[in-house]
Amino acid sequence: MDPFLTSRIMTDLLGGLTNGVVYGLVALSLVLVWRSTGILNFAQGAMPMVATYLGMGLLSYNLSYWPCVAVAIVAGFTIGGITERVLVRGLYGKPEINPIVVMVGFLIVLEAVAAAVWSTKPRGLPSPFSAIDWQIGGKPFGLSDFSVFEILTAIGVMAVIAALFRFTKLGLQLRASAIAPEVSRLLGVRVGRMLTLGWMLSTAVGTITTILVASNYFTGLTPQVMDGVFAFGFIAAAVGGLDSPVGSIVAGVSIGIILQFVGDYLNSNDIILTALLILVVSLMVRPNGLFTRSSARRV
Amino acid sequence: MITIENLTVSFGAVQALRDVTMQVETGKITAVLGANGAGKTTLLRTISGLKEPVQGSILLDGRPLVRERPENIARMGVGHVPEGRGVIGEFTVEENLRLGAMITKAPLNEGLDEQYRQFPVLGERRKQHAAKLSGGERQMLAMARALIARPTVLLLDEPSLGLAPIVTAQLMHTIHDLCSSRNLTVILVEQNASSALRIADHAVVLHLGTVVANDAASTVAADEKLRQYYLGMVE
Amino acid sequence: MVVNSSQRRMSITAMAVVLSAIASFSFGSSTRVAVALSAFLTLLATGAAIFTTPGLRSSHPVVVRAALTITTVDVVLFATYFFPANTNTNLATGAAMSIVLLGLSFLTGASGQISLGNGAFMGVGAFAMAIWANHHATSPIVVGLLVAIVSGALVGLLLGLPATRLRGPYLAGMTLAFAVAFAAILSSFNSWTGGDSGLQLPTAATPPHWLLGFFDSGTSLLTTNSMWLADIAIVVTGVAFFFMANLFASRTGRAMRLIRDNDVAAELVGVSLPRGRVVAFVVSSAYAALGGALSTLIDNAVSPSTYSFALSITILSLIVIGGIGTIPGALIGGIVYAYSNSVITWITNQTGLNPQGNLASQLNGIIFGGLLIVTMLFAPLGISGTARHLWRTRRRRTPR
Repeated sequence: MDPFLTSRIMTDLLGGLTNGVVYGLVALSLVLVWRSTGILNFAQGAMPMVATYLGMGLLSYNLSYWPCVAVAIVAGFTIGGITERVLVRGLYGKPEINPIVVMVGFLIVLEAVAAAVWSTKPRGLPSPFSAIDWQIGGKPFGLSDFSVFEILTAIGVMAVIAALFRFTKLGLQLRASAIAPEVSRLLGVRVGRMLTLGWMLSTAVGTITTILVASNYFTGLTPQVMDGVFAFGFIAAAVGGLDSPVGSIVAGVSIGIILQFVGDYLNSNDIILTALLILVVSLMVRPNGLFTRSSARRV
Repeated sequence: MITIENLTVSFGAVQALRDVTMQVETGKITAVLGANGAGKTTLLRTISGLKEPVQGSILLDGRPLVRERPENIARMGVGHVPEGRGVIGEFTVEENLRLGAMITKAPLNEGLDEQYRQFPVLGERRKQHAAKLSGGERQMLAMARALIARPTVLLLDEPSLGLAPIVTAQLMHTIHDLCSSRNLTVILVEQNASSALRIADHAVVLHLGTVVANDAASTVAADEKLRQYYLGMVE
Repeated sequence: MVVNSSQRRMSITAMAVVLSAIASFSFGSSTRVAVALSAFLTLLATGAAIFTTPGLRSSHPVVVRAALTITTVDVVLFATYFFPANTNTNLATGAAMSIVLLGLSFLTGASGQISLGNGAFMGVGAFAMAIWANHHATSPIVVGLLVAIVSGALVGLLLGLPATRLRGPYLAGMTLAFAVAFAAILSSFNSWTGGDSGLQLPTAATPPHWLLGFFDSGTSLLTTNSMWLADIAIVVTGVAFFFMANLFASRTGRAMRLIRDNDVAAELVGVSLPRGRVVAFVVSSAYAALGGALSTLIDNAVSPSTYSFALSITILSLIVIGGIGTIPGALIGGIVYAYSNSVITWITNQTGLNPQGNLASQLNGIIFGGLLIVTMLFAPLGISGTARHLWRTRRRRTPR
């Protein structure tokens, strides 16, 4: 057996990849909403958290794992849609701090309500796959059944979103509504519905992400389960470019890997410090993101 | 037929259209002429639902359009080619056309073939981003994108803007052909009065939001006063 | 009878002198009290006289602002002598918070951007104050406060430099990341910051001897100390408000409001956009740090758990409720902060909730988060902005 496969570097690389795809998913869900409605959704972690409680809470009513996941995703779609219709619709075209403040308020309310209803005590979600690392030649290899599931799910979600946007009529309308809403309406595109759909998709992607994060044995599901992940996801989206889905995913994975090495070789406190440093430096060097082509400011 | 009655549109305290009454005959080209700020673009935007009037009515074959959403008006068969063309530069030529074809039940390929026959240059550049097209090509694309939806009414806002005279002449010719071959109702907004009057059946002249002339195109073209005062056509 | 401005000023001053004389006689037993009372009244009278002088507002606005500040501070200082200890503590806490809010109000009012990390910047000042005091036990309080201000400004510059160059939500996101990271940052410097347990100040701030002389010999330490802390907080707040009022009205302030309202226009008239935004952000961080330093002084200690992300959100809620971009909004927010805990306890008692229950413990978040949303959707100018708006429209409608 090649000793490199079980080396510290390889383990960190694979562990970082597993975290990174999660950051990439969060960044992707932020980009979906940012591109279509120009709003950075600070409740992007909290809305899926509620959907996850609603769906996975059915576990205690003896529903099995996969139906609960399906319910959670449906709840995610619904919460995203209702939020856009009720809370966000009046904020388009307002000064940029208005949506920021409202979504921060929504984040606080959702976390507080979730804590009031379900308490702050972590709930373990039974993972359908073993989280114990594989063994190669008696040594642990940096992947487990669960982390492979995590990576494949993330790739699957990204592929579905990419295919939807690139190859379907619906995707064409979603993209057109984001780029040129008025022209799209003149061509008969129901732009209002597209914006709602953007929020629904984004919250559903977030729900899948939350289930992956909360299925981790060490975290479990808590009202604040997505706070830290949201911060890393935002950093990934800002570094990759809030306009660029591909950039945000690449940045998410890269940040995940870098931070894994930092956590292993330095210490765990340096993880978020490094992330902050990456954000500061990348905004200095490429203010519009590493993957955004145009740097023109929209007036 | 489009019937517009007592239409008043304002932006805050400024009235862009004042008590406009006019009729647009089916299958004919109606030119709407006038200087900058006469309210021509506002008229089109109000017809297609982007702007809500203060008062007045707009009927398309008897169906009211006022307070209807723009996307529904588009689905009723009103195609609007906006000023500055509104081509989506980030999309390829074909994606722009696919977007235009969204609301028809007709098969996509048929529509695409038809447009590529009509505008061969678009067929050659179907995979290119629309941002890479020349001004004239973009105008073609905008027209094709509106036509692929098989509208019964076509609203054209300053199609000649920024085009060379020879391209403008070709374009007017195309508009005229389309109108007669498909029985399209066309409202053609133009500052370039002479080329519009050449193909129009009917002409409406707007001045500061009010109708100052509403007559057969040939009559308007022959009216020396109108030509001088409102259309800036001095020999 | 026609009274012109100088006559009015003279009569007010004369009244003050007469009043001080009466005061001196009635408190005859203690000349110290008499002196203090006449000082109070003289200041009050001078301030009022300057403030009411017609024409001065337009010709010397800075003087009028100074007079207004001095008069207000004078009155509140005088009142702290009579307040019970817990009122003084609330006053001090509210005053410290209103400085933080003032900074955030300026940032948004001037640049149209928002910070979600002012709780962490407050923490920078709070720890800077504590660390300085632990290394220089004898240095005066003012020096500690200045150290805190400089630290806040430096950290603000470091973070604000890249983010303020960009439009959009970058500054908000960056400051959120900073607020989330702040606990880890404190922890990585735990030899300085004392780790999880935080730091104690080496000595509590106690009133000087001459001030103690006003109290009966049996007065508790709690009463005298809380008054002294409130007095410090009020004087510092007065200075902070005075500077901010001038900044709001200055050329820089007007230029910054131009940036907020239309940044293309601002560029055309020659305001350096990024620099204006960075300055606004640095000022807001420095103000937050000053407020944090005062909090350390008031609590006589600093703990990392105080400066969590939740505090940053509380700060945001307070200024949004008070009126973002306004000066009075910061004061209103400070008062709300000082009494928010009592109000929430009151609600818990009135509704008969189990105080240890899930709902009661989350009431704070539900109320503040809800107020954030409701204010922003229905009255985005907050209490102070909405009141001003109503006042103006009413005045315009009333025929003269």
